[in-house]
Amino acid sequence: MKKVFKITFFATVAILVLSVYSFTLKPATTKYKCMMQMINYTGEGAYVVISLINPEGAYEKTLYVQGDDSEWYHDITEWWKFYGKKRSDLDAITGETIAGGARTISVIEIDDDKVNSGYKIRFETAVEDQEYYTKDAEFELTSESVKSKVEGTGFLRYVRMLPN
Amino acid sequence: MTISIWRYSHLALAVSSFVFILLASLTGIILAFEPISEQIQPYKVSGFDELTASETISVFKDKYSEVLSLEIDANDFVTASVFTDEGGSLTGFFNPITADFIGEKPEVSKFFQFVTSLHRSLFLKSIGRFFVGLCSFLLFLITVSGTVLILKRQGGVRKFFTKVVNESFAQYWHVVLGRATLIPIIIITLTGVYLSLEKFNVFPADKKSHLIDFEQINATPQLNINDFPVLKDVQLSDVEHVEFPFSDDVEDYYTIKFQTKELVINQFTGEVLSVIEDPLINVLSKLSLKLHTGEGSIIWSFILLIATVNILFFIYSGFAMTLKRRAFRIKNKFTKNNSEYVILVGSENGGTLLFANALKKELIFNGKRVFVAELNKYTIYKNIKHLIVLTSTYGEGEAPANATNFLKLLEKIKQNQSFDYSVVGFGSLSYPDFCKFAFDVDKSLQDQNIKQLLPPFTINDKSFNSFEQWVALWSKAVGTQLSISSDAFHTIPKNTVPFKVVSKTNKEDNPDDTFRLVLKPKKKLRFTSGDLLAIYPKDDYNERLYSIAKVNGNMHLSVKCHLNGLGSNYLNDLVVNKQLKARVIQNKNFHFPKKTDRVIMIGNGTGIIPFIGMLAGNSKKIDTHLYCGVRTKRAFNLYQPEISTYLKDGNLTKLTIAYSKEEYKVYVQDLITGDSDFIMETLLSEGVLMVCGSLVMYKGVLDALEQICLANKLNINDFRHLIKSDCY
Repeated sequence: MKKVFKITFFATVAILVLSVYSFTLKPATTKYKCMMQMINYTGEGAYVVISLINPEGAYEKTLYVQGDDSEWYHDITEWWKFYGKKRSDLDAITGETIAGGARTISVIEIDDDKVNSGYKIRFETAVEDQEYYTKDAEFELTSESVKSKVEGTGFLRYVRMLPN
Repeated sequence: MTISIWRYSHLALAVSSFVFILLASLTGIILAFEPISEQIQPYKVSGFDELTASETISVFKDKYSEVLSLEIDANDFVTASVFTDEGGSLTGFFNPITADFIGEKPEVSKFFQFVTSLHRSLFLKSIGRFFVGLCSFLLFLITVSGTVLILKRQGGVRKFFTKVVNESFAQYWHVVLGRATLIPIIIITLTGVYLSLEKFNVFPADKKSHLIDFEQINATPQLNINDFPVLKDVQLSDVEHVEFPFSDDVEDYYTIKFQTKELVINQFTGEVLSVIEDPLINVLSKLSLKLHTGEGSIIWSFILLIATVNILFFIYSGFAMTLKRRAFRIKNKFTKNNSEYVILVGSENGGTLLFANALKKELIFNGKRVFVAELNKYTIYKNIKHLIVLTSTYGEGEAPANATNFLKLLEKIKQNQSFDYSVVGFGSLSYPDFCKFAFDVDKSLQDQNIKQLLPPFTINDKSFNSFEQWVALWSKAVGTQLSISSDAFHTIPKNTVPFKVVSKTNKEDNPDDTFRLVLKPKKKLRFTSGDLLAIYPKDDYNERLYSIAKVNGNMHLSVKCHLNGLGSNYLNDLVVNKQLKARVIQNKNFHFPKKTDRVIMIGNGTGIIPFIGMLAGNSKKIDTHLYCGVRTKRAFNLYQPEISTYLKDGNLTKLTIAYSKEEYKVYVQDLITGDSDFIMETLLSEGVLMVCGSLVMYKGVLDALEQICLANKLNINDFRHLIKSDCY
């Protein structure tokens, strides 16, 4: 009886330690270079929001925001429904808006387990007083796609990604 | 009252936009601190100016596994985005020499972001941007109309920077600061307009993109970046932005942005694949942004700050002046056609109207029918018997704003009945053309054969007492008795300085109750013989003016005691060593000329005193002739000793005296007529005549001079510039 008790105790401790360890252990991630090339439009700089989309098609995480003036964020309506509720801290992952014809390279970080598991990356674009594209560019994250070039459908001419 | 079109637009523009301008200025003042606070950050590396672009690029490439981009901002801070060998990424300020990471880029302060947004668009997005741009343009127009007003006030482009006469605090500083901050404000407004217009895509967008022939790209011969011919001798400070190749593909390239062009460079061979020159629009945009924000220059930011603070002051002082002006409105009890007394007012700021209203009130109180109007409204007055013109002078002897057309109207409009007129000129002796317009009006009225009731009367610095004197003269001439109430003229003496009484003679020793007074300023004070001393016997608006002489640094006065005379009795009651507070009024028109061959001085009674000082100071021994008019030989004892000394020393060439109460009654003007050849010769050789004393004597002297000129077939008006006077 005493022995059984002892075993149970150790097992519980082991499970506890393991589970705590696994929580503190950061999932493996990779940094990617991501180049966004804009088409030649006229007007204000474009806001571009890069999001991780889960296999169900819902927003999972905001990866990067080009455009640092938060008073315009609610114009990016689909993303705003996700982000606007919680307003998590974006400071480390914001850059400036991208002007027509220009391009920008930003660094985004994606958990390795999101690649090849049905997750998608979405590029949403909006320009003040002009159109808003919910899916300017969107593609599934695969080992192939994370080092490819994908054409945009709105303000983006193309997006290129490269793991570091 | 009518105000000139420029002033009207200046005001109308200001009224219509001041709320926006106020907001923009307040936020602008705060924003001026943004570039200043940025620049004092310690991210600039010494030695930056000697660095070449390729040095920095290669040091970054060597140090980090990946470099994404490099940027050099207006403050010469270098920011970059890199991957470290450990797989982490760094973004922030770097040392361009060692490629060491210095620090995170601080976030744009939420506060400045908030203020910038308010400044740019009032949180109203496009509509707000439009209004801010429009108001910037209105402020530009306000600046232009303000410049025109200053030009008119100062009397021309060349006099733009001459001294401004201090009429009131708001007015003086509005003009002085307006002039000083003119250029920065024009720059702020024009760049502001440009930046707003740019947001509305008014300028032709000339967006070119790089056309690269990827078929022709070669990866050889491979060169080290330090050997790229295109980067040879390119300073890092000339570069704005470097984008590193995205990958090792030969199709990926360097994009280097310079101040006026963007180059695409093959990452292996250094070959230039494409060049885009910045269109003029971009260059202008960048310049506008720099000039408008002060980015990159603490000095310019500071100038912008000062100019913007001044805009706030202009809003305040402009409205202060307007409200003051609006306080002077003309209201009439009687119509123009049933009034016998017509008072016409010429005024720039409405100050003269105060006097007109006081006179009107008193006349109505005495049962007269009076009509007050602006000079520009001159028309037929069916019952006119007496015309009174009260006018100031604007700029260099020009008509004030509401009198500009009067002289023309006077020629066109003829009254149906005879009447008489009197002109009173208001002005300040600190202007060179004291009351000139009043004299012009007087002359034109005379030319129309209208009867002159009184010669033109001048009033310095809105002196109520001078006005009172004139009212007494005038009411006597029209046969009534008026006493003007001083209620409307509450002014307290200002700018007075203390004097000590050095000596004083007894009036009893002089047959004309005249005494001499010597004062010593307690502090250092600048004054010259011929200036005026204003005293305030009751320490209120009552002001009395006396001509002064400067002898050995002391101030000499000659005062005739009148029965009940406020000023003269006040001075007579002074005892030696007592203190007196008074103000010196510069009277530049009556200073002893520095460059002339001969001066003729004509004075009577107490009017001899300034000449005493001038003669004392005539160390250059300019040929000077003094004509004095006194009543008796004994009366002249007051000046005799000094004048004898001057004659002996050569400061005075010749003295001639006229005694009006001795055996042979001679007036000083008779002496002039007697010496007509000498006088004529003096005038023809550009000698100067100075006249000081009573107005009656002045009129007599002028008549005599006119006769002399006529006898020589000349016109006295051709010699006006040689005749200086200070008469009362």
